Amino acid sequence: MADTGVIVKKEVKSLVFEKTLILAIIVQLLIASFSSLIVIGLASFFDPSSLSNYDTPRANVGIVGQGELRQFIEKSQVNPHYYRDVDSALVAFYNNKIDAVIVIPKEESGGNEIINLVIYLPKSDIRGTFVTLELKKPLEEYEGYVRDIRGERIGFEPIKLYVDNIPKKTSTYFEFIFGILIPLLVFTPVFISGGLIIDMLTEEYERKTMDLLLVTPVSFSQILSGKMITAIIIVPAQAFLWLLLVRLNGVVVHNIGLILLLSGIIGAIVVIIGAIIAVKYKKRMISQYLYSLVLILMFLMGYLFTNSPFNLVTRLSADSIGAQALVYCGAYAAVAVVLYMGMMRFQVSGADSGNPE
Amino acid sequence: MSRIFTIARWELRKTKSSFSLKTRFFSFIILILIGTASFFAAQSGLHINDNIYRVAVTDASLAGVLQSDAKFEVYIAGEGGAKSLFENEGIDILISGDKIYYHNTEKSISALDALDKAIKKYDEARLLSYNDLNNTFPVWINIKNIAREQAFQAPSINKIPMNMTTQAPETGAGQVPEEDSHDIKSSMEPVEPDGSVPVTEKQGTNININIPEKTTENIQIPSIREITENRIISPINEQNLATPSHFNPSIPFKSVVLSFIFIFPIFFIAQFFSSSIMDERIKRKGELLLVTPASSYQIVLGKLLPYLLGSIALVAIMTFKLGGSPWIILTLLPVSLMFLSTSFLGAIIARSFKELSFVLIFLSVFLSGYIFFPAMFANIHAISIISPITLVVRLLENETVSISDYMFSTLPFYLLSILIFIFGIFIYREEDLFTQKSIKEKLLDSIQEFIKRVPAPLFSFSIALLPLVFSIQLMLIVLMFNFPIRIGILLFIIVAAFVEELVKSIGIYTVFSRKMSDVTTGNALKFGILSGIGFFAGEKILLLVVIASITGSAFGSVMGIGLLVFPLLLHVTSTTVASLGMRYLGYREYLACVVLASIVHAAYNLYLVRSVVFG
Repeated sequence: MADTGVIVKKEVKSLVFEKTLILAIIVQLLIASFSSLIVIGLASFFDPSSLSNYDTPRANVGIVGQGELRQFIEKSQVNPHYYRDVDSALVAFYNNKIDAVIVIPKEESGGNEIINLVIYLPKSDIRGTFVTLELKKPLEEYEGYVRDIRGERIGFEPIKLYVDNIPKKTSTYFEFIFGILIPLLVFTPVFISGGLIIDMLTEEYERKTMDLLLVTPVSFSQILSGKMITAIIIVPAQAFLWLLLVRLNGVVVHNIGLILLLSGIIGAIVVIIGAIIAVKYKKRMISQYLYSLVLILMFLMGYLFTNSPFNLVTRLSADSIGAQALVYCGAYAAVAVVLYMGMMRFQVSGADSGNPE
Repeated sequence: MSRIFTIARWELRKTKSSFSLKTRFFSFIILILIGTASFFAAQSGLHINDNIYRVAVTDASLAGVLQSDAKFEVYIAGEGGAKSLFENEGIDILISGDKIYYHNTEKSISALDALDKAIKKYDEARLLSYNDLNNTFPVWINIKNIAREQAFQAPSINKIPMNMTTQAPETGAGQVPEEDSHDIKSSMEPVEPDGSVPVTEKQGTNININIPEKTTENIQIPSIREITENRIISPINEQNLATPSHFNPSIPFKSVVLSFIFIFPIFFIAQFFSSSIMDERIKRKGELLLVTPASSYQIVLGKLLPYLLGSIALVAIMTFKLGGSPWIILTLLPVSLMFLSTSFLGAIIARSFKELSFVLIFLSVFLSGYIFFPAMFANIHAISIISPITLVVRLLENETVSISDYMFSTLPFYLLSILIFIFGIFIYREEDLFTQKSIKEKLLDSIQEFIKRVPAPLFSFSIALLPLVFSIQLMLIVLMFNFPIRIGILLFIIVAAFVEELVKSIGIYTVFSRKMSDVTTGNALKFGILSGIGFFAGEKILLLVVIASITGSAFGSVMGIGLLVFPLLLHVTSTTVASLGMRYLGYREYLACVVLASIVHAAYNLYLVRSVVFG
């Protein structure tokens, strides 16, 4: 055990000496400084309607044709301008006087035919995005209105629930921050540590220093464990730093202790897998390549089922699950133990016995 | 030339031999598993937010509705039981009968919105089951996206003093007679370059006069099957026909994801390249190559060749398989070069595998941000074309990309990667490859080599580093667009000034700190002036080539478009400040000198755009 401790100390020292940890922290700060930006960018990517929370100027919309839709548009956020025909409206559109043109057909809500609207929008233009968002609401109201009239014919009853004063907020930000951002931040150190253990081991092989280490009284399993422990303990430490940065951005994260525990356990699984690959292939190029492939696979699987590590972090941080999460932590810890035992049995015992102690 | 090919052949053989049959088999198995996993992900969706909200209901039939959405964990209880759950057990929403109660917390409010969406979705699914489109989905929108001249920024920005040759696009458009009711083609003519206002070439070619076809005939209502399928495959609407609830801004979701897949092979191959070089350094095998008659640039090019060709080939195969335009290959070439060059530099400056990993993570985070973040706004904002990936997205969406677009977004990549290779090759020699010098020392070594080898070193050095400055500033622009406009411009001015000053004075720092010349006032003045003029000259050349399309923006004017004399004086003055600072404070105070120079520089730029920043 003491020998393992020596290895841990040596590895931690070399991490600090090479300033790699510092570079990792710079990466973290860089991403954190991006993060508010990433939140806006990705969230709008995720759900464009969330952009409508921003104060935008009232869009000017050209309207051609009569119809009930006019009333809904007049009540909404956009400024309507009326035109006789499509051509004159489009002239105004090309001259940047209006940002969209709506052509309302003759069909009425009481009729039987489908109501086909035509909307012209500026391509690849932020104004097109905003006008779309502003038009969405009156259009939806209009659809609801027509549906109320026509739905009776087929006996459709919508589900109706009531609430006192509806707050004007979308769920996008909340779901993005807790569903995507926080799990990603918590598990980034895990991915890094998996790569780190490969670097630590393959470097000893390629510099041929592993042989030197093995003539010391330290056994191969102790070297391996020492390196793995180093790689694993920095996972919760980095994850904690992440959560701190998130907190500074104004997001309250619950159950931090449990999240760090889970990140450590998943870190152990990934580090053991990395070590297995590195011990087997001994070359950095191949090991890192295979590890990246395995990582993609694990990453995808993390999104495939409820109670996956990603999902658990989401629910823990949003306070949707409490101590029950320990059950799943236990299950993942069992996976880590099985992997460790497997590695010790198939990879290490052979190497250890080959080493005269 | 033949030496390069010989080295390329060796490199190829070496890499090939690393991949044993077992390795190939193993990676094949993992790839199949990845394919299977993505198939399941596409089928059942991503379980990202499963059970994130907890809802208590008293009506069991409502529980069925909510359970159709995996986000909700539903508890059914009697009225009293549900109420106590809501009040004491941290349940987010209580639905008692048909009345909803929520807490005034962010989570509970989000849950309410999610509930609203879930019910709407459930209702739409029920409506679809009637199989009667005219009565269930009575309103359809036919969306026609038309390209038109785009004002680069909100109009208020155009008040800044701009230079003489370019003008904001709106002024041109404003002069078109309003009541012109001829057909669209004739009314478009005044906006063409032959109009009264000079419009730069790019803006002229951008106007795509698509006369919209007669509207009502070509509307086709999709079958119900098509609608339902669309809902599963693309949650974000991409087609041109939508019901109001699916009427969303066009965001090229699929294309961005697809372009991400294109980057994978490029990324992997760059990894192999850096591993191979690092490998030779660690095992000291590279020493043998260095003593052969092959020069270091032949060695590096020889090693690069197989990886570059490999990544082009992989991209070509993927383009062919996915049915994209062949232009995608050409667009991804500079991206590939960029990843390879940064990996190369990383592999040369790192001292160990760990350091290499971290350097590469750092660089690829930066690079991926630069290429992917703008691409997400591919259909939204013109600035997004600074990323070649945006062009790939456009090509995937079957849109055209003009030569000037291509130049604008790829030229910085070409120049910068070539620059990185050149600086890397300078230190591809024994004393840097096989010693434990720090990263900073190695970078200074390469600058020192540049100064030794190139005529008029400080003058050329400023020019040579311009692509780097330009790329960083473009990235800054993208970042600053996300702040309120005034703060954005302010931050941009300060950071941009710092970057420019750093680049202009780092050569002088190298000369002084490496004792390449005496530290005298005369020398300090001379170097400051040379470096400042060099930067100015390079800036003007670069601007002429690429920047035409962002002249209309406030950021553009800060980047140096404008009067000629003052920027020249500015660059010379600020660099001289830094260089004299090093003369009198000592070169160890380099950072302080750069900050000082940046203050001078930023103050001038702030004065230029004062009307925007201070109102």
